[in-house]
Amino acid sequence: MNNKNILNALSQALVDLNQDAVLKQVQEGLEAGMKPLELIEEGLLPGMNTVGDEFEQDIKFLPEMMSAAMIFQEAMAILQPKILEAGGKSRNLGTVVLGTVKGDMHSIGKDIVKILLETAGFTVHDLGIDVNTFSFIEKAEEVSADIIAMSALLTTTLVNQRDLIEALEGQGTRDQFKIMVGGGAVTQAWSDEIKADAYTDTAFSAAKAAQKLVA
Amino acid sequence: MLDLLEVFERADTGPLMKDMDYYMKRLVPKLQEVISRRQVKWDRSTIVNTDDDLIDRVFDASVDLIAEAGAYCPDTNRVMEFSRDEVLRAVEQAPKTACFGEGREAKTMAGRKLDDVDNVPWVHVGGGIYTTDEKIYLEIVEGLASIDIVDSVSVPSLLHLRGKDARVRSPQELLAAIKTVILAREAIRRSGRAGLPIINGISAASNSVSMIAAAAPQFGLRPSDGFLIDFLAEMIVNYEALQKAAYFNSISANVGSTSTPLFGGYGGGAEGNAVLATCYIIMGCLIYRGNYHYNAPLHQNLRMSSTKPLLWAIGMSNQVNAKFMQRPMVNLPYLGGGAGTSMFHHEMAAYMLSVVPAGGQIFSGHPAKAVDPDSLLPADHRFHAEMGLAAAQLTRSQAEPLAQAFFSEYEDSIKDPTPGYHYSQVYDLNTKKIINEEYLKTQDQVRENIIKAGFEVKVS
Repeated sequence: MNNKNILNALSQALVDLNQDAVLKQVQEGLEAGMKPLELIEEGLLPGMNTVGDEFEQDIKFLPEMMSAAMIFQEAMAILQPKILEAGGKSRNLGTVVLGTVKGDMHSIGKDIVKILLETAGFTVHDLGIDVNTFSFIEKAEEVSADIIAMSALLTTTLVNQRDLIEALEGQGTRDQFKIMVGGGAVTQAWSDEIKADAYTDTAFSAAKAAQKLVA
Repeated sequence: MLDLLEVFERADTGPLMKDMDYYMKRLVPKLQEVISRRQVKWDRSTIVNTDDDLIDRVFDASVDLIAEAGAYCPDTNRVMEFSRDEVLRAVEQAPKTACFGEGREAKTMAGRKLDDVDNVPWVHVGGGIYTTDEKIYLEIVEGLASIDIVDSVSVPSLLHLRGKDARVRSPQELLAAIKTVILAREAIRRSGRAGLPIINGISAASNSVSMIAAAAPQFGLRPSDGFLIDFLAEMIVNYEALQKAAYFNSISANVGSTSTPLFGGYGGGAEGNAVLATCYIIMGCLIYRGNYHYNAPLHQNLRMSSTKPLLWAIGMSNQVNAKFMQRPMVNLPYLGGGAGTSMFHHEMAAYMLSVVPAGGQIFSGHPAKAVDPDSLLPADHRFHAEMGLAAAQLTRSQAEPLAQAFFSEYEDSIKDPTPGYHYSQVYDLNTKKIINEEYLKTQDQVRENIIKAGFEVKVS
């Protein structure tokens, strides 16, 4: 099988959610002398993009997205060490601290954002739901996060997004982090009002916006 | 039926599990397994199911799922397990009626059957959308309660208290919940129908403390109103919900179990949502002892319930209920089109046709994905209730081509819905009369078009 065929088969195996086939194609690619980055960028990522497109078109759903992300991570566990061995840098676009704000128990939108950020190349620290304002900040400081991303579905929990920004301003660390907001109750007007750095109305646009923030 | 203490015990004694393990190792694979085992399959060309054998298979899949996956309690990290016999007993003993309201407005909501053209459905209107201003709040609720064909109302929430945000779980939120109840009851009294029931108690209360506080009789709610207890997506039963179940059952109030299965989420697509929505109807009885149910499946990205697969799934869950349980049930539509728009009206027409001949009751819906404050316009809700009454005259086979026709009117706008009106853009705040000619013209045109298509929506 030539390199192009390996990349196509790798991509398709990911779309088919076939973990064994994905890992086999990764192994074959490495044995054929292909670079790990090539396998990621021309094999795995196009596969993930197709999964993402199918998710947006209601062909695939959250469980399939999560399976694809898990398979992607398994493949990355083989490829990342190879990149480092060859003296390259690990593929990390940045670090995100993510969670649903205090008082809000909704998780599904946040879970999707997590998957998409991870597959885009971010390291994500997911604090879960009902997250205290200062827990976001403490974690962000601990892991030197680039972005703090907050979800809120309930209108009455929106104020907690504002509180976090106010807390950062109060301690003089607002400039250290980019703030992303999203969730059913959030609008562009609200994001502007609280001076967040990015608002997106879908999980997919969240991953793209995060990439812009760290560019 | 299991007693409530036994149910609560299950949340404290079931198998321990991380939430993500429950979703990915238990719920999701089991759901896929029961769908395959029972051969639940959506014919993608269909909106209104007419295959009665499929109703049986969705029911069996739903019973299987509850018995094999259980529900998850995040407060204890335990799976609440129920045997197949316990599930079937809840189905068998599910209440078939619920009595709401007081005095002249007292009435019984009775579960309906499939193609039940001889029985007039319950007519429920309104919604829990936020309202920014007390005066508009009073006008909207009075307007809804004044619709003479209406049997019950859902009332909106107040966004602010003394002009400030009421933060979740704060004392202000508790006061806002109380104020919402007081204003709603006052508005209903002004309509001349003081006994009319509010069955979305209590929209402004996000937690059990606020809800129980605002339910105190001093503020105007009564056990003959209806109090909602929700399942979180998917299959999540938390202590807050169980506290509400404990309290509202203790005062013998009407308890409405409610659920919003998310299309595209852990439940997957049409088949998964039909099964999950049915599970919640059963679990509402089994876990919360609900005597009515609010069924509100929703697309998790689009935040609306009028897509083709969802119309099918929602209708399907109503058909299962009609055939096996006849639980009193309303379906809460989330529509994309803004208030007063042609898109909104066509979405409601397709929605009514998918649920009412399927055995559901009538419920007008939330325009603009329920995020546009002050967008409940009473004249929309009268029109949509009239649509529901017209849909009740049709069998599922008669409803299907009409639902298809009306769906095609808005299909292309689903990803970019038409914005609509706010209350003050349509009504004169002093005279309460409609002053927006364009609004009336749109409604008249839609009525004319749908009648021309064969959907006989009469002016009430």
